[in-house]
Amino acid sequence: MSEAATVAGPASSSAHTIDRSGEPLIRASGVWKIFGPRADRIVGTPDADLPRAELRAKTGCVAAVRDVSIEVWPGEVFVVMGLSGSGKSTLVRTLIRLIEPTAGQITIAGRDVTAAGRGELRDLRRHDVSMVFQHFGLLAHRRVIDNVAFGLEVQGMPKAERLARAREMLRLVGLEDVENAFPDQLSGGMQQRVGVARAFVVNPKVMLYDEPFSALDPLIRRDMQDEICRLQVETGKTMVFITHDLPEALRLGDRIAIMRDGAIVQLGTPEDLVGSPADDYVANFVRDIPRSHVLTLRWIMRPAAPGEEDGPHLPVGTTVRDAVPAIAASERPVCAVEDGRVVGVVDRTAVLRAIAGEED
Amino acid sequence: MRPWWRGRTVQVAALLAVMWLAYRAFGLEHPWPERLEWNALAGHLNDFQVWLLDRRAADDAGLVFQVFDGFRVLVDDLVTWLTDLLLWATWAGTAAAGTLVVLRFGGYRAALVIAAAFACFAAMGLWEQSVQTLALMLTAVALSLLVGMPLGVLAGRSPRVDRTLTPVLDAMQIVPAFAYLMPVVILFSVGPAAAVVSTMIYAIPPAVRITALGIRGVQPNTVEAAQALGATRVQVLRKVQLPLARRLLLLAVNQTILFALSMVVIAGLIGGRGLGDVVTNGLYSNPALAILGGFAIVIMAIALDRSTEAIANRTDPARRHLTDTLRRRLRLATLATAGGVVAAVAIARAAGAADVYPEEHTAQEWLLARIQSVLDFVQDPTSWVFSLTEPVGTFLLVHLLQPLRAFLVETPWFVTVACLTLIALVLSGRRAGLTVLAMLAGIGVLGEWEAAMDTASQVVVATVLAVAIGLVLGTFAAESRTVSRLLRPVNDVLQTLPQLVYIIPFIYLMPVSIVPGVVAGVLYAFPVVVRLVERGVRDVAPESVEAASAYGATRRQLLAKVKIPLAGDAIMLGVNQGIIMVLAVVVIGGLVGSGGLGYEVAEGLQRNEFGQGVIASLAILGLGIALDRVTRGRRAPRRQGAG
Repeated sequence: MSEAATVAGPASSSAHTIDRSGEPLIRASGVWKIFGPRADRIVGTPDADLPRAELRAKTGCVAAVRDVSIEVWPGEVFVVMGLSGSGKSTLVRTLIRLIEPTAGQITIAGRDVTAAGRGELRDLRRHDVSMVFQHFGLLAHRRVIDNVAFGLEVQGMPKAERLARAREMLRLVGLEDVENAFPDQLSGGMQQRVGVARAFVVNPKVMLYDEPFSALDPLIRRDMQDEICRLQVETGKTMVFITHDLPEALRLGDRIAIMRDGAIVQLGTPEDLVGSPADDYVANFVRDIPRSHVLTLRWIMRPAAPGEEDGPHLPVGTTVRDAVPAIAASERPVCAVEDGRVVGVVDRTAVLRAIAGEED
Repeated sequence: MRPWWRGRTVQVAALLAVMWLAYRAFGLEHPWPERLEWNALAGHLNDFQVWLLDRRAADDAGLVFQVFDGFRVLVDDLVTWLTDLLLWATWAGTAAAGTLVVLRFGGYRAALVIAAAFACFAAMGLWEQSVQTLALMLTAVALSLLVGMPLGVLAGRSPRVDRTLTPVLDAMQIVPAFAYLMPVVILFSVGPAAAVVSTMIYAIPPAVRITALGIRGVQPNTVEAAQALGATRVQVLRKVQLPLARRLLLLAVNQTILFALSMVVIAGLIGGRGLGDVVTNGLYSNPALAILGGFAIVIMAIALDRSTEAIANRTDPARRHLTDTLRRRLRLATLATAGGVVAAVAIARAAGAADVYPEEHTAQEWLLARIQSVLDFVQDPTSWVFSLTEPVGTFLLVHLLQPLRAFLVETPWFVTVACLTLIALVLSGRRAGLTVLAMLAGIGVLGEWEAAMDTASQVVVATVLAVAIGLVLGTFAAESRTVSRLLRPVNDVLQTLPQLVYIIPFIYLMPVSIVPGVVAGVLYAFPVVVRLVERGVRDVAPESVEAASAYGATRRQLLAKVKIPLAGDAIMLGVNQGIIMVLAVVVIGGLVGSGGLGYEVAEGLQRNEFGQGVIASLAILGLGIALDRVTRGRRAPRRQGAG
C-alpha cells in the first residue's frame, strides 16, 4: 500500500469542533436493506443471521445492509469505509431513502426520515441533506452555473437569486472562471468541484459524500481532500463520507465505521482502528498503515509519576511522528497536555514501541 | 462446443424425416378433414359486418360507435385540413417552407436533401399525391407519437409497465400489417382514418420502444442526484430525463416516420390517398406509373430519414453547449425562419403560383417512357437480363417452392401438426410447443390449412435464403471493416423501403407466379440477419478468439470452430426476426399472385368479402405467432425498435 506513506494523521479532528452536548444530528438504528423477493419477511427471522451466500441460496435475497446503527454528531466527519460490495453506498442512500430501508429507524435533524411522507422527504432532501456522488451526476445539458443552481431551482428560487448564489459558491470552490462551461469540458477534478458546490449551495446541515474522489487521479484526490477539509473547517458542516480508501478515511474521519458484508465490524476513531483492531479483518486492513502517523500521545502515554511533569509539553492530540523531534531532543519524558493540564507522559521506549508496531 | 445444440439438430432432423416418410407413404390421402372446419364462421362474420353497418347508420348508434365515428371524422378532417393547407401554400410556398424549417434545425445538408426531394416530386408530376401522402403520414406520425411517447416514458421509468407492454408490442410487430387491414376497415370504413389507424398500429411500437430506451439510457446517477436534491418526479422528468434523452426521443420520431412511410403503400389499399394509391392502382393498369410512385416514396423516405436524423443530432442539448448568447442567436434564427416561411408562402401566392406544380413543366412523360423501356427490355425473352433472371426464378419455383409446398400441403395433417409441435418443443420449450399446437389447430379449424401451408412453404424458402445470405455477408462484414462499410448504406436503404415496393421490380424481373413475393421477402429480411450475425460474430469474447489463435487456429478454423458457434444465439435471433419479416412481405405478395393466405386477404379487400378476409387474416396471425414461437429459442429475444 504505497499510499500509506501519505497518511498525515487526522487532519481535521483538531481543527473543528464536534458538539456532543445535545442530540446527534443523524441517528440510525437497526437499519437493514435486503434486496430480493419478499425481503421484508426476512428481518427478525433466524435467516437474517445467515452468512450472505447462504441467505442468497436459501431465499434468493441479498442483505446489503444488516442491522447497522450509527450516530453522527453535529460538526463531526463520520467515515464509512469498506471494500466494494460491503454495503456502504447502500447504507448512505438509505439515510435519505434514495434506497428504501427494509427495516430500522432513521432520524436526521430531528425529523423521522423513515416515517416521512413524500413531501416531507423532499423537504429534507432540499434543505437538510445534500449528497456528492462518485460519478458526479452532473447534468450534461446545463452549464456549470446552472448545475450548481439546480438544487435551488428545484426549490423554486427565482432565477436571478439562485444564479447569484451559485456564482458565489463557484467562487468558494475556485471555479468562477468556468461558470459558462459545460461539464464535459471540465476535468474530473473540476467536475467533482461542481458536484461539491451543487451540494453546498443549498446550505444543508448534513453533507453525504459517496466515494466522491475514487474516480479521480491520486494527486487530484489529495487536492480534493484538502478542499473538503478546508470547507469543513470553514462551514462546520456535519459529513458522512463513504470511501474504500483507508488513508482517505484516516485522513478525514473523526470516527470511522468499517463495514463488511453489510454489517459494521468496528466503529471508532482512527487511533482505535490502528491501535486496537477489533478482528483480523480490520487488522489486515490497517496492517500497512504506519502506526506513528495515526496514533497520538493519548494512545501511548502512561500516568505521570511524581516529578515527571516538568518535561517538554506537547498537546495530547499530537501524533507520535510529530512528537519524535521533541522526545528525541529531551532527556526527560514528554508531557501530554490537555486543557492546560498534564494528563500523562510519554518516554522514548513508548515511542519506539509505537513505531515498531509492538502490541502493548 | 455445445452438446445440446447437436442433440437438437438430430431431433429436429428425425422429426422432419418422420414427416417425409408420412408424405411419401400417404401423400394427399389425409388433408385437413372437413368435419373439423368451422365453415359457418365466414357467414357469421358477414352477418356481423352487416349488423355493424346497420348499427352505425342507425340514429341511436351506441356510445362505442359514436367514439369510433368521432375518431374517424376527426382523423379524416385532420388529414384533409393538412392536405388543403399544404396545397393552399402553393407548391413553391410549401417547398420553400419545408426547406427553411429543415435548414434551421437540421443544417444545410439536410435542407439540400429536402429541397431535392421536393424538386423530384415536382419533376415526377406527383406533387399532389406527394402532398397527400405527407399529410396522411404526418397525421399518423403525430398520433402515433401522442400515444407512443407517453407510454415509452412510463415504460422507461417503471420496469413493471415495461414488462406489461413488451408482449403487446411484440404482438403488434409480429402481426403482418396486411392481416389487420380488414378489421380496421370494418371499424373505420375505407378512408384516411383507416389508413392512419393501420399505420399507427405499425408505427407505435418503435415510438414506445425507443422512447423507453432513451429514458432508461439517462445516467442513473444524474437522476439520483436530482432526487437527492429533492426534485419531484415531474421535475426529474422535465429537467433531467427528457432533455438528456432528447436525441433518442428524436430518433424515436425518426423511426416512427420511417415505419409509417413503409405503410403508405398498404394504406393506399384502404383509402389512403396519395402515392400509395398510385402504386397499388398502377400495379395492374400502369406499371411504369406504379414504379414512379415507388421511387417517389423512396425519395420521401430518404429525405425524411436524413433530415430528422440531422435534427436529432444537431439539437442534442447535452452536446451543443448552449450559452445565453448562443441561445439568443438561435431564438432569432427561429424567428427569422418563421418569418421566412410566412414570406415565402405570401410571395408564392402573390406571384400566382399554382396549388400543384403545373403539369406542363414536369418530366413525367419522359420518365414514364424511360421506365417503360426498361420494363420492356427486362421482359424481352431475348435480352440478357431475361436469360439470367428467368432461370433463377424457374429454379426457385421448380426445385424449392413447389416441392416444399407439396410436402407441407400433402403430408397428413395430423403428422404435420404433431411434428411441428414437437419441433417447437425441442427448439423453444414446452410453452412454445403448446402455442404452436394451438395455432395450427386454429388455422385448421378456420379452414385455412392448405392456404396456410402454402404460405408457410414460401416463408420457409425465403427465410432459408435470407439467413444463408445474411450468414455469409454478416460473417464477411464482421471480419472486414471494408465489407461492413460497403454493406451499411445498402442495408439502410433496403430497410427503409415500403414492403410492397420490394415486390414491384420482381413482378417484371421474375414473372413466375409466386417468385416475386419470395424474392422480395428475402431482400426485405436479409439486412436484419446480416446486422445480427455481424454483431454476434464481432461480439464473441476476444479471449476465446485469442486463445484459439494462440493454439494456431487458421482464420477459417477460428470462424468455424469458435466464432460462429459462439454467435449461435445472435444467429437464432436473426432467424426469428427474419422469418417474421419474410411473412409480412410474402402475404403482401398475395396482391400480385403469390396465392396462399395473402391472396385471400387481397380478395377479401378487393371484393369486399369481409368474412373470408378476416378468417385469412386470423390465419396469418396464427401462422405468425407459430413461426415466431418455433424460432424464438429458449431465451426469449427482445425485438429491437428498428427491427
